[in-house]
Amino acid sequence: MSRREFIRCAALLGVTAGAAYAMAGMAAPAMAGNMLPFPAAEPGAKRGGRLRIGEMVARMDDPATYNWNEMANQTRPMLEYLTMVGADNIVRPMLIESWLPSADLKTWILHVRNGVMWHNGEELNAEHVAWNIRRWSDPALGSSNLGLSTFAALTEFTGDKDSKGRALRRPLKNGVEVLDSRTVRLNLAKPVLSVAEDCGEFCTLVVHPSFKAPLSRNPIGTGPYTLAELRVNDRCILKRITKTTDGKDFHYWGGEVYLDEIHFYHYEQENQTAALASGSVDAIYEVSVDQIELAQSIPGAQLLSVETAQTLCCRMQVDVKPFDDIRVRRALVKAADNAAIKRLVFGAYGLVANNFHVAPVHPEYFPLPPVVRDVAGARQLLKEAGYPKGIDVAIVVGNNDGPWQQAACEALRDQVKDAGINLAVNVVPATKFWEIWTKVPFGATSWAHRPLGTMALAQAYRSGASWNESHFSDPEFDKALSDAEASIDVGVRKAKMQRVEKILQDAAVMVQPFWRPVFILASGKVHGYKAHPARQMQLNKVWMG
Amino acid sequence: MGNLIVRRTAQMLLIMLTVSLLLFAIFDSDQFRKKVAVAELGGFGVATLSDADYQDWLQKKGLNQPFLPRYGEWLKNVAHGDLGRSLEKDVAVSTLLKESLANTGILAFFVFLIMIPLALGLGVLAGMNEGSPLDRIISFVAVLTTSIPQIATAVLLTVALALGLGWVPTKSAMTDGWSFRELVLPLATLLFYDVGYIVRMTRAAMAEVMTSQYIRTAVLKGLPYRRVILRHALRNALIVPVTLIFLELNGLLSQVVVIEVFFQYGGFGRMLYDAANFGDIQVLQAATLVAVCVAVASQLLSDAAYVLLNPRVRFT
Repeated sequence: MSRREFIRCAALLGVTAGAAYAMAGMAAPAMAGNMLPFPAAEPGAKRGGRLRIGEMVARMDDPATYNWNEMANQTRPMLEYLTMVGADNIVRPMLIESWLPSADLKTWILHVRNGVMWHNGEELNAEHVAWNIRRWSDPALGSSNLGLSTFAALTEFTGDKDSKGRALRRPLKNGVEVLDSRTVRLNLAKPVLSVAEDCGEFCTLVVHPSFKAPLSRNPIGTGPYTLAELRVNDRCILKRITKTTDGKDFHYWGGEVYLDEIHFYHYEQENQTAALASGSVDAIYEVSVDQIELAQSIPGAQLLSVETAQTLCCRMQVDVKPFDDIRVRRALVKAADNAAIKRLVFGAYGLVANNFHVAPVHPEYFPLPPVVRDVAGARQLLKEAGYPKGIDVAIVVGNNDGPWQQAACEALRDQVKDAGINLAVNVVPATKFWEIWTKVPFGATSWAHRPLGTMALAQAYRSGASWNESHFSDPEFDKALSDAEASIDVGVRKAKMQRVEKILQDAAVMVQPFWRPVFILASGKVHGYKAHPARQMQLNKVWMG
Repeated sequence: MGNLIVRRTAQMLLIMLTVSLLLFAIFDSDQFRKKVAVAELGGFGVATLSDADYQDWLQKKGLNQPFLPRYGEWLKNVAHGDLGRSLEKDVAVSTLLKESLANTGILAFFVFLIMIPLALGLGVLAGMNEGSPLDRIISFVAVLTTSIPQIATAVLLTVALALGLGWVPTKSAMTDGWSFRELVLPLATLLFYDVGYIVRMTRAAMAEVMTSQYIRTAVLKGLPYRRVILRHALRNALIVPVTLIFLELNGLLSQVVVIEVFFQYGGFGRMLYDAANFGDIQVLQAATLVAVCVAVASQLLSDAAYVLLNPRVRFT
């Protein structure tokens, strides 16, 4: 078990991350005291000032149905999570103080943090937390939280189907139990490993039970800031909160916070670097890879990056012609050179992936031998499959996360041509893509970062899973994955992941060329601004020099 | 003239009615409703909803009322001056429209302020001396600026003036309040094309007038050259450019979509772009009404100018 794994494992068992780092004898990122999830203040950190951030300024309707990261970024200084996944991909307790799973991982006890004050002067209690979790598990809400294992395991199938043949779900009776004013118990329908991680995903910001959408009209949260002004596609201004709405002095539970104001100004992705270059903003949401050079040429600016589990899966539907023949899929995988695609798209940055959708940044990552390009082998497989003259196929790509997706598909197109595969790249608008992404036989889907390696596998490759876009279904795989998910010990889980990863890799479901890096940019004045693998902005300890 | 105004206004109302009905019909489709749902909840979120829950959601948003009552209600509200509320931005459409039109108005004002004297002046100078080196230079530059697409001009000017020389900011979001410096790039980009266009038209009109017989007569009669140009040539030469300038008013409204989106300037074009992307129907409807209104009004102005400048034409 590596130190990193040990830390996460210890944290899972309720040991705070700070203590776990200490036990591992590792130079821990200094923490702001034992119980807080934030990094410690830098020496010389100064209070005051405003931070101007360039990002798309989005609407703030209902945090549970957010569909852009930017919405959560605007909200995170006001509303908080039960847990917080740090820039180091380690989860720490936030609005809950600790969690305790049962041995079978079906019952989880969450201890609500003491002394957390809402903006309206009330104190956070277990009822509030339970109310939020029940809401996230409500199938009528339309929240993507239902795609997270924890909240899916708080629902059950009714046995009925709707007019489109989809199975209907309803919330579990007694799934979320309030034991006392500080304790919540989750009684899950099946074992879930990732409860702590799921509670820190971007749609799980905790709202006050009086919440009514849109949030922007009456934001009540527990964070140190409140909304002063929101103009969609223009600006979002957040200010430090000093008084509660009932006139008391507001006390923030999370220790020292430095910035007086946080301003988000609307800049489209491709404009953000230029906006920072001319001093219109102090920091930006993301630098796309084609702007790295521009970013590096800005005097005094800090270009920061982090490796992530964000990726592109060029996945084939295993039950649709011609991909129902595994020889065709294997030929495609063999004809591709993942390392070369990564180099073309991200140069020296990012990590090569190996077609099994578990990343080196995941604690349970088991390194399998890399896939090797074999054009002759690919040709031979095609011949055996009945395509001696080659084959015409088309891949659909939506560029919903940036033009690098299309670039990767085009690189793939040029490589598989050598093996007689004529790949057409069909680019569709991003919004259109999300309407058809599960329907196209061959599609390039961008998958977001998940803190654990089992999370994406459970959502995308388990038989019948809601986002199983490849229609991959293998009882052996399901069993092996469930087995891995039942192991809270990272070392044990890692060993079990070998089999899980191998089955998926051998099934040749996808060409998954790389794990993409995330780059952010800030001016020299900004301190403590960090790149986060899930692109969550965590601004509590950011200060202006 | 009064007759003309009445006729044009009636035409305008008819066009508005037709266009709004068409837009409503286009947006009254399951596909569009799905688009709004995906924009609001995200593709993943919508996928989690069962059919019944999806219908409930549409009901809550008022999206699945039958077509005619919805259109009827909208018409009634518009007649009362209520343009509805933006689905995306949660503000009254009238507020949005007022702010964005004011911003685009400022931009347009400076465009015309600079374009009219500059373009007419250069065009007349070139046309007066057709074939002279001055004419060649002016014509060449005008052809050059009109042949570069505006989006390319925008990039070139940004690289040169903002990133290279650092004279002006790269974007015009006006984050710290209104500033003329931020207006420079969108203004320059619009002028780049528009001035060239009007220069070419003015030059052509002027050159044509200069070859006409009454000018030759005036020159041969011994009138001072200055007087020939100012009194005799200009009035006839300006008929076409002046009517074109009024029509530019309408052209500007579509040009600003590219310019405002590129420079992040909060005007009418960006509002339209945002609304189209989101499927913000109330905003799109209102914007369309404004666009029709501007189109008809600019034509009316252009006709009026034509009548005033050209005594041979009379509208009855």
